[in-house]
Amino acid sequence: MAGTGKAHLRDSPDVLLRIEDLVVEFPVGRTGLKVNAVSGISLDVLKGETLGLVGESGCGKSTTGRAIMQLPRPTSGSVQFEGRELTSMQGDAMREARTRMQMIFQDPISSLNPRRKVRQIVMEPLTIWKRGSEAERSAKVDAILDKVGIDPVRAGESQPHQFSGGQCQRISIARSLVLDPSLIICDEPVSALDVSVQAQVLNLLEDLKAEYGLTLIFIAHDLAVVKNISDRVAVMYLGKICEVAPSDELYANPAHHYTSVLLNSIPVPDPEVAITKTSIEGEPPSPVLPPPGCRFNTRCPAAQDICRSEEPQLRAVGEGHFVACHFPTVTPVELTLR
Amino acid sequence: MTTTIAPSTAMTPASPEPAAELAPRKRRFKRPPIGYAFAVVFLVTLTLMAFLADYLPFIPYPDAKILGPDGKVGRYDWGPSWTAWFGTDGVSNDVFSKTIYGARTSLQVGVFATVLGIVVGGALGVIAGYFRGMVDRVVMIITDCLLALPALLLAIILVNRLDDYRLDTAWLGWLSRKWQIVLTLGILAIAPLARIVRAQTLSLREREFVLAARSIGAKPGRVMLREILPNLIPVILTVAFTGLSILIAAEGALAFLGLGVEVGTPTWGKLIDENRNKIDESWWATIFPCMMLFLTVLSFNLIGERLSRRFDIRQAGV
Amino acid sequence: MSTQIQATSRDIDGPLLELKDVTTHFKTERGLVRAVDGVSFTLERGKALGIVGESGSGKTILSRSIMGLLPPRGTIRGGSIKFEGREIGNLDRKAMRSVWGKEMAMIFQDPMTSLNPVMKIGKQIAEPLQIHLGMTKQNAWATAERLMQDVRIPEAKRRLEQYPHEMSGGMRQRVMIAIALACGPTALFADEPTTALDVTVQAQILDLLGEQRKDRNMSLVLVTHDLGVVAGHTDEIAVMYGGKLVEKASTRGLFANMKMPYTEALLLSIPKLEDRSHTRLNAIAGRPPDLVNPPKGCRFSPRCPYAVDKCRDEEPPLIATAEDPNHLYACWYPVGSEAYHEAKVRIAASKDAMSAVAVAGGN
Repeated sequence: MAGTGKAHLRDSPDVLLRIEDLVVEFPVGRTGLKVNAVSGISLDVLKGETLGLVGESGCGKSTTGRAIMQLPRPTSGSVQFEGRELTSMQGDAMREARTRMQMIFQDPISSLNPRRKVRQIVMEPLTIWKRGSEAERSAKVDAILDKVGIDPVRAGESQPHQFSGGQCQRISIARSLVLDPSLIICDEPVSALDVSVQAQVLNLLEDLKAEYGLTLIFIAHDLAVVKNISDRVAVMYLGKICEVAPSDELYANPAHHYTSVLLNSIPVPDPEVAITKTSIEGEPPSPVLPPPGCRFNTRCPAAQDICRSEEPQLRAVGEGHFVACHFPTVTPVELTLR
Repeated sequence: MTTTIAPSTAMTPASPEPAAELAPRKRRFKRPPIGYAFAVVFLVTLTLMAFLADYLPFIPYPDAKILGPDGKVGRYDWGPSWTAWFGTDGVSNDVFSKTIYGARTSLQVGVFATVLGIVVGGALGVIAGYFRGMVDRVVMIITDCLLALPALLLAIILVNRLDDYRLDTAWLGWLSRKWQIVLTLGILAIAPLARIVRAQTLSLREREFVLAARSIGAKPGRVMLREILPNLIPVILTVAFTGLSILIAAEGALAFLGLGVEVGTPTWGKLIDENRNKIDESWWATIFPCMMLFLTVLSFNLIGERLSRRFDIRQAGV
Repeated sequence: MSTQIQATSRDIDGPLLELKDVTTHFKTERGLVRAVDGVSFTLERGKALGIVGESGSGKTILSRSIMGLLPPRGTIRGGSIKFEGREIGNLDRKAMRSVWGKEMAMIFQDPMTSLNPVMKIGKQIAEPLQIHLGMTKQNAWATAERLMQDVRIPEAKRRLEQYPHEMSGGMRQRVMIAIALACGPTALFADEPTTALDVTVQAQILDLLGEQRKDRNMSLVLVTHDLGVVAGHTDEIAVMYGGKLVEKASTRGLFANMKMPYTEALLLSIPKLEDRSHTRLNAIAGRPPDLVNPPKGCRFSPRCPYAVDKCRDEEPPLIATAEDPNHLYACWYPVGSEAYHEAKVRIAASKDAMSAVAVAGGN
């Protein structure tokens, strides 16, 4: 199945991660059918950038995040991290590469082993890789716990269920930092948290990113959150990328119809803003039998015949702004090759 | 502390959290644990008496002949009295003493067989559940075969066979009947335990903390040992305790069939079997060992149940 | 067959729901959890009320207390809950059964676990009709089909025969709404009905609820943590914190003229689409209060940037604003008051001082 193209990939020496034609398929029981979770996407992330990956449930964003980590390995496609190809790495080399990229999960409490003390959990990566002496490890863990706002003494005595959701998420963040990774993939890290705690964790991530020089991939379904934390946003729908653009640009000038619908559906905390009648009906089609052509054609208000037969490729509509649509709301421009 | 982070208003945190616990552990009922207390007390007393029986003056040796009030040795004559608390049996032995000594063997058989089942079954289950695929299928075939065999038949065959092997092979000299039974019952315990552990492992494996462990570069062995196994312990323990009681009763059943341990070593099964014909005249010789078996099984079950409840509450937060 | 509510004690003209000092405490290992600690308000017929709060605010427990869906043991209830003039706060489950479904209904957050996985959808909708309204099976199923169409489920007839797992999350939520609406209740409680759903589906569901409310002249109580959701779909909003009602106003009034620093802080801490990317969020420090040992005085005082000693010692009463008698709030130094502005200046000054220190400290 053809992907949506690679026009948006950049050719810079600063590219930290590059995914090309990533495909992830899961078999459905014994029926022989497959869930086409991710169908040929390509993305790149520059060093120090935050890429937001946004979409609704079933669009494949979480699967993409895990496929980057090779947990599980993608069905096909290439994942290049720090210049090395991950999909062909095996055994020890793979495990070693994993230390350079870490992941934070959605459910803060279940991402921590419930039977262990929190401090042990954060120390674990250092123990596995035997980094430094006992004293050095201890000091590092204490420093990082402190940075994320968890009392190290309490961490040594308590198990995850004795902490709140927000605190558990901080502990997860701490664990992901001890190995000094260059990339952190955040899979819906604030979705399960209270509103007031969300802001704390988001601020924390921004601060840590600045301090440690991290590169982030932020996966979420909440567009406002994604806009706040990302430099660049990619919108996914049913395993494909619809649109890629810098955050402010995406929200100011959405070119894909799906993006517009998403933006219009977000409830705005201001009663003066008139609620636009949702212009979209129905449910996303099943990823087992995705529609031919543009996968959004079944619900798109601007769908034409070509949309039902031919898959649109990503093309430029502005500086760094790419859209995969036959009839985008912003006119495509021809980028002169520099 | 947080000086490197932009010092905005007091609104931005990253300060150490107060020591108060946030998650209240709600217990919906609080019955006094009478059953549990009884079970613990009973089992501890029984075990102590059984293994220290040689030193306890009030327990005569099981093969000692007890004299009746007329100074003579008798058959089935003496019911429960102050000299013999549980009475005497057909060969004038003290039933109480035989019961206590029998506890030794019965408990040993039960515990060792359970341990065998846990170690082998548990290992198979974890490996099958973690690696899935081909490994899982192989293990499943093995367990399915084990489960398909009629347990009783297997027991009879095994014990007979092992008897022969023991006679032929020199290094199997230690394989007394008792250990044969341990082996047999242990093998029978493997399959159910493997299945239960495998099921738990399959579900634990998908949990995010396991994924996190793999993503920090832990090898499969480490993940299984440090992440999955500790979370399996509650399940294994509860199954173990209830299974233990089944195995003790199973030993009794084997004794019933004449496959019990060697002559001279009393077990509950043997006692019940030997004296069941005379239950009308001298009920005490059969009923008291029966009662002990019953109480022991009940106690293990109560403890198992309590353990499962206790671990469940913890896991409610998980 | 359910017993009819006596017509004599029904008060058609007054408010639909009247709460006076409602408390719900739970006896737990750690102590008495004061989940709802003295909440009073009224709800008129046909209006939509949003109850907003975070976890631990008591909003869910409050809605369940009104419905009477609390665990039977270890719960201590107080205060008065009047539905159409009739006291329902002290009714036991048996008596409440005549109220549930017919007068009040509830939809929950997770449609998957709220629907019976082994019962056909049609049966789940038809059941309350048969039990509460005494319909025949045929009648009930026909009504069920109509209800499914009302909630905009396509191919309603076919779907009646399906099981919950064959439907998507959004559709299951619609089924839940259909079940809740089946007997024509006068009040519908929606407990985080869209939190588990995608944003496009969320919009559809909220629109549907609004539509049904208008068509049936039903009251809607929307319990959520999302200020965006209540902004567009409610007439009134009640803000809860630490088991207490801290602000209540018309939706317009609340957003235009917020009084509680908590409400203001909540609004400021949400990332908004209009903001530029990487806008620093004004997070609220600390965590929700411990309901076993709530803070003395105002419950928000440990986290309130404007708190002074009076706030920590004395609990502010719920009073009305000068401009609008229906706008209630509980704060000694509400937003917009003199003391508030003074506090802001104070904080800005200390912020400058802190940053000066940081700069001087050479970090």
